[in-house]
Amino acid sequence: MDEEYDCIVLGTGLKECIISGMLSVSGKKVLHMDRNKYYGGESASITPLEDLFAKFEMPNPDESYGRTRDWNVDLIPKFLMANGQLVKLLIHTGVTRYLEFKSVEGSYVYKGNKISKVPSDDKEALTTDLLGMFEKRRFRNFLVFAQDFKEDDPSSWKAMPGFDPNTTPMSAVFAHFNLDRNTIDITGHALALYRDDEYLAKPALDCLKRIRLYSDSLARYGKSPYLYPLYGLGELPQGFARLSAIYGGTYMLDKPIDEIVFTDGKVSGVRSGSETAKCKQVYCDPTYVPDKVKQVGQVIRAICLLDHPVANTKDALSTQIIIPQKQVNRNSDIYVSMVSYTHQVAAKGWFVALVSTTVETADPEAEIKPGLDLLGPIKQKFVTVSPLFKPIDDGRESQLFISESYDATSHFETTCLDVLSIYNRGTGEDFDFSKVKHNLGDEEA
Amino acid sequence: MASVKIPEHKIILCGEFGVGKSSLFRRYAADTFITATDRKSTLGLDHYEKLYKTKSRDVKLQLWDTGGMERVASITSSYYKFSEAAILVFALDNPDSFNVLSQHLLDVVTYAENAKIFLCGNKYDLKSQILVSDADMETFSEQCHNLISGIYKTSCKTGEGVEEMFADIASKLGDANRSRKELDALTDESFKVTTHLDSTPQDSCLC
Repeated sequence: MDEEYDCIVLGTGLKECIISGMLSVSGKKVLHMDRNKYYGGESASITPLEDLFAKFEMPNPDESYGRTRDWNVDLIPKFLMANGQLVKLLIHTGVTRYLEFKSVEGSYVYKGNKISKVPSDDKEALTTDLLGMFEKRRFRNFLVFAQDFKEDDPSSWKAMPGFDPNTTPMSAVFAHFNLDRNTIDITGHALALYRDDEYLAKPALDCLKRIRLYSDSLARYGKSPYLYPLYGLGELPQGFARLSAIYGGTYMLDKPIDEIVFTDGKVSGVRSGSETAKCKQVYCDPTYVPDKVKQVGQVIRAICLLDHPVANTKDALSTQIIIPQKQVNRNSDIYVSMVSYTHQVAAKGWFVALVSTTVETADPEAEIKPGLDLLGPIKQKFVTVSPLFKPIDDGRESQLFISESYDATSHFETTCLDVLSIYNRGTGEDFDFSKVKHNLGDEEA
Repeated sequence: MASVKIPEHKIILCGEFGVGKSSLFRRYAADTFITATDRKSTLGLDHYEKLYKTKSRDVKLQLWDTGGMERVASITSSYYKFSEAAILVFALDNPDSFNVLSQHLLDVVTYAENAKIFLCGNKYDLKSQILVSDADMETFSEQCHNLISGIYKTSCKTGEGVEEMFADIASKLGDANRSRKELDALTDESFKVTTHLDSTPQDSCLC
């Protein structure tokens, strides 16, 4: 490794792998290292099942869990929005060809101790059991407004006099359509997928775009707006790592990272043992630079192994349930996501549910109880409380670019925004998708 | 829904760095050979499809190259996923590259359970330097409890044996539908996300 590179990337989590792929495609000479001997870091899907039990210092699973190699358990639960940023990245980089997806079967929201399907268009607004008769009509009028809304066409927002997407706060839009607290909760948290209520005071544009993302994603594959890859989320970083390798990136795993070397305040290399690789830039996740990040919060995640589907989901083999904050007197939502053997992440007949939220109290496990209660009997539970880190600076000065920890959101939108921002800070330009010649391999002889 | 379900047979190349996997890939894809390792010429190209007419039916082979990941790190497990056949490649003049194949075989059996496995001794043109004999290969095959579905000797430099090998693999995959059916069951209702964001899901496809 005693060579000179343009960029060294540390850690093979999803963000680092996407960045590595984009840098290699852009012609940079990339060295990509991980201290672990497997790809994916925190974004890996753990297999075989013994490894998951061992990770939590538990004895080996008994034979009721079936073949342990059939398990690929994610540590960080997320789904892809079918029309979201990550799908766009997968398509434009050609990484989509390494992956197979299934549509998540159901999208539910929790209200008054039960779960209901998330209504997402004007027809469902009128049939949902979440809202009273008069509220349904008001909600429908709002959804029609949201569906017709076009950012660059003022005639599309005539329904609300005086509306300006960049100044009118979202709360005023809800007030105009006379929506009650419940409906606002469902709209903001189950459709726009906000984790808290700060958006209400902000300009309406972002919220309306998020509602559009939900409905456009739903329109693509039908059952829900969410996608999930066969064999688990760990396939995603691997796909981008392969992209990087194919464009010349060098991979080294199981490599202790002992020091990031600085010269005059700028990174100049990475030392592993007695070897030092020179470089102009370093990209890494927060775990490689504990002194260059600050903690901004905590996330609790409970991995639950079940031998049955979740009640009241029509025995769906995959589902997402959002518990809006207000329903359980919290400041941030609780997310429940469930996948199963049909995604090649569990042995036949088994389900993997993940309950997660942003920690607000000193007893985080009690905070996720409403989510755990929805699952019914749990065969095995693994709970982690992880700190959320952010870099202390944007990296432009030192040329050391650090990604943020994976947050509690249920999808990859914030993940992609962080990646695109890092790429922009590191290279001074936005990623040019036309640099990827991914059609090369697909041509007929 | 996106594309037609994996209409091709995915075949992967496995083996040590430098035994000629990319050369095999290049012969297969473009029928060319480059002596110096000019990785730049394959940058961005990682799999290639070709149609073979066999006795039983037309078979579309989709050959995948490793992308050089095995140089220093291990290959990702996703490389093996959905493959129906794996070619274990070694260099006939390099016994180490042959002896290490049991490890590659283990990876294939672990990550691509039902894949048919083929053995390929490359660099057959180096006649005087061949150190791995036919008997060695037979013994290996027997030790593998007959998991090996075919043994070939090729030279990417001269092209000898390369097309014959792929044609034979195509006919063997054409005859056997077992792994195919298992793969289809696996990907029931799954799809690839499509290239054309604005097209309707029904008429889109991967290519």
